[in-house]
Amino acid sequence: MRWPWRKRYDELDEEIRAHIEMSAHEREERGELPDEARAAARREFGNLGLVKETTRDTWSYVWIEQLWQDVQYGLRMLRKTPLITSVALLSLALGIGANTAIFSLVDAVMLRMLPVQNPEQLARILFRSLGSPRPRQSVTNPIWEQVRDHQDAFSGVIAWSPQMFDLAEGGEVNNINGIYSSGDYFTVLGVRPAAGRLMTSSDDVRGCSGVAVLGYGFWQSRYAGAESAVGSLIRLNGHAFPIVGVAQRGFFGTDVGDKLDVAIPVCAEAVLAGKDSSLDVRSDWWLAMMGRLKPGVTVEQADARMKVLSPTLFGAAVPQDWPAKDQDRFRKNTFAILPGAAGADGFRGLRQEYSQPLEILMFVVALVLLIACANIASLLLARSAARQKEIALRLSLGASRARLIRQMLTESVVLSGAGAIFGVLFARWGSALLVRFVSTQQSQVFLDLKMDSRVLAFTIVITVLCGLLFGILPALRSTRVDAMSAMKEGQSQAAGGRSHSSAARWIVAAQIALSLILLIGTGLFIHTFANLLTLDAGFDRDNVLMVETNIHNAGIADPARAPLYGQMLAKLQSIPGVVSASQCWMTPLSGRQWDNSLTSPGHPLPSGVDPDTLLNWVTPGYFETMRTPVLEGRTFEARDSATSTPVVIVNRLMARRYFGSQSPIGEHLLGGSEGMLRQPMEIIGVVQDAKYTSLRDDFQPEAYFPLSQIQKNVDEDSTFEIRTAMTPSALIPAVREAMGRVNKLASLQFTTLKQEADDSVAQQHLMAVLSGFFGGLALLLTAIGLYGVMAYVVTQRTHEIGIRMALGAQQASILRLVIRDAATVLVAGVAAGLLGSIWISRFVKDLLFRVAPNDPSTLALAIVVLVAIALFACYVPARRATRVDPMVALRYE
Amino acid sequence: MKQRYRNRLELLQGTLDLLILETLRWGPQHGYGISRAIQSQSGDVLQVDTGSLYPALHRLERKKWIAADWKTSENKQRVRVYRLTPKGRTQLADERSRWEQLSCAIAGILNAAKKEFET
Repeated sequence: MRWPWRKRYDELDEEIRAHIEMSAHEREERGELPDEARAAARREFGNLGLVKETTRDTWSYVWIEQLWQDVQYGLRMLRKTPLITSVALLSLALGIGANTAIFSLVDAVMLRMLPVQNPEQLARILFRSLGSPRPRQSVTNPIWEQVRDHQDAFSGVIAWSPQMFDLAEGGEVNNINGIYSSGDYFTVLGVRPAAGRLMTSSDDVRGCSGVAVLGYGFWQSRYAGAESAVGSLIRLNGHAFPIVGVAQRGFFGTDVGDKLDVAIPVCAEAVLAGKDSSLDVRSDWWLAMMGRLKPGVTVEQADARMKVLSPTLFGAAVPQDWPAKDQDRFRKNTFAILPGAAGADGFRGLRQEYSQPLEILMFVVALVLLIACANIASLLLARSAARQKEIALRLSLGASRARLIRQMLTESVVLSGAGAIFGVLFARWGSALLVRFVSTQQSQVFLDLKMDSRVLAFTIVITVLCGLLFGILPALRSTRVDAMSAMKEGQSQAAGGRSHSSAARWIVAAQIALSLILLIGTGLFIHTFANLLTLDAGFDRDNVLMVETNIHNAGIADPARAPLYGQMLAKLQSIPGVVSASQCWMTPLSGRQWDNSLTSPGHPLPSGVDPDTLLNWVTPGYFETMRTPVLEGRTFEARDSATSTPVVIVNRLMARRYFGSQSPIGEHLLGGSEGMLRQPMEIIGVVQDAKYTSLRDDFQPEAYFPLSQIQKNVDEDSTFEIRTAMTPSALIPAVREAMGRVNKLASLQFTTLKQEADDSVAQQHLMAVLSGFFGGLALLLTAIGLYGVMAYVVTQRTHEIGIRMALGAQQASILRLVIRDAATVLVAGVAAGLLGSIWISRFVKDLLFRVAPNDPSTLALAIVVLVAIALFACYVPARRATRVDPMVALRYE
Repeated sequence: MKQRYRNRLELLQGTLDLLILETLRWGPQHGYGISRAIQSQSGDVLQVDTGSLYPALHRLERKKWIAADWKTSENKQRVRVYRLTPKGRTQLADERSRWEQLSCAIAGILNAAKKEFET
């Protein structure tokens, strides 16, 4: 390519040629011989190339051209060494790609602002109750109404509650992601309609019939973006709502990780829930709140104002049926205002659950990238040793060292840039995969992983840093040559080689240290995951099909629900292949929870012990189906009916809490509040402790009631558990048919207990898989690095080894010689890595389950694996050293 | 390597610029001529290094203190001839008075020290 300013190059050449001509001419006139005069003039002028170069440096545009030259030269050099280049590209693509992928998740989950107007003015309205360490998000509708009607700290406040709505009219569910939103939700957030109008506060009044606002994506996918959708009806859980409009594109609600298909006003909850409505229930915590700060008001000022208002607002929403002591605690709740520009944490606590894992993963991928950089640095070092003569030649021809270093750094940045391009492709695929990992059947995660400016800037910065990092040492080393000796064959190789290999050794030792830290982390996370997979959950998770059922479409009022369930259960039990079947309200490991305080007359609890107990209602076959061992007494039977003595079954922890080592059979329990558990219930059995909301939680005291005696409304939603002898999913068609025969309008959702268990450890699974992948990658890179260095060292010492063998050294002693050389590097690296890991591993303590951060067996295993791989990596070059033919080695020089 | 060239330059940074401008005050001149002129005018004390001269010429040209044209010399050679621009003339006056101030000041210090030394 010819640059427009190339002419100036020729002109400079000509100018300088003229200078020398004139000088020679003058000397000739003074009487010198033409040839001598010319040579003297050349000598007097000095280094032609350097003069030209320093002169060109004063031209302002020249750096662009030099950069272009360097890039071209770099690309040419990369093409000349395809093996080194492809190894470097692959490790860079993985390293930079992994960093970009994790960072784009960090960005989406923790950093990015909500796509609404002036998100920086938004603040989350949480509250603190006495003795709870973290502020709480969910409030009751009465609390929300108090805040809405009486606060003066914000220019506007909103409340919402995420909810799955079923589009299907019975049969298998077709759930969409919706929210109940307060009337001015869209107005306060500053969301514009894409079609029709959005909700207003006049749509959200008690007794409303409800309207629906669609999310943009849902409007596109289900209505193909047709304007006619506005004005039509949408049936949610069997109730029709008129669609009034569509929210603007890109709006996903206020919870990070959610998406918004449809919004209906809070008042419409009464339409869907009927007489189970939570609108006036003062202990149903289901709404989240946010406010928009008035101009000029800070979060702190709003916080102070809301603290002042707290006693009045909470005082007006006290649950009247609570014991006096609990009411007093309720009155002492205080609001806490936090910045909300990046959105709320979501009801499943996506940010809370994944912030720390993401930070740790960010650290892990940074280490992997460092190891990759170290590898490339040693590859380049080895290559620069081969290029020594070229460099010496260029230096003596007048290239300045700074210019050469600049050129070599350009070359390495070109390399890392090429790696980054592949890396970004890898990251796009990788981060989508990560989101799928985080998503579970129960709660899907929707994150917009677009390459925004922050992610792009991050990638560019790490790419350039990487290029400089792995390029600087080889560039400095290879340009520090004595031109004279390097030009001569032979001896320079040895001299330069030794310093190259000592630098490379340091690099490899650092790689080993970093790899060990990663391997130990991998060990800890895999150990944690294995502990969760194999722990005794109190039930047998294999071969159980879970049928989550909701009869909201059927419109069956309470007294008729229990008999309907009875018919369904009977039908399920008669399906061929079903070993046993049962029904319960709270699906184990679904994350849902029903709890209340229970007391036992005559067995007071020591003060300070929380009387709160996990509850569930079940049918007689429950413990048999779940294979939860019955330790004492009996389980529920058909004779426990609505008219017989109220009975209850407790788990072992519950029995121990009230009765110590005595048998609880025949003792009684009494419910605390809310009218549902007022009658004394006789304890008829004790069962093994079982996990309730999640596998990670500790066992807690729990009580089971029979469905037949439940002292409250029987719920619309419940779960049937079916233990089968075959693959659980094979049973689905038969189950669907059986349920349809009882009631066509029942909504069904299928999962397995195994799946529920896996979903509840999705985060640990993610950590185990990713740290395993990156640990393996680090190990591979380190092995390649070690192999490269040892192979190089052996080549360097061929001569020496040849002499040794000629003098009678045995193969074994040569092998020892090389291995000993590697062993020092290995020991130094392992020691440093071990120290580093002991210091670092305490940061992951919260993510571990039943394994200590410095678990000796994990440390030992990681060291053994690393040392084994490392020794294997240097055994190959060591073997080659023993095959050196003394004659050939000595003839070499 | 580059470092070595810098060391050989015994002129203060900026002084070479002043000498070039001064030399061109007497008429247009090519690079070789300028270096010869400075050498002979200084009684062979100042050797102008080509590694400094050409960068300096191109730098001054970029600052528009001097301009360059291609001319043909007596022995039919194309040479690049530099001449002073009006802007360079003003600059020369500034540089000259600054240099005089500086050398006056240094001379004052050296003379005072000399007197003290003598007494």
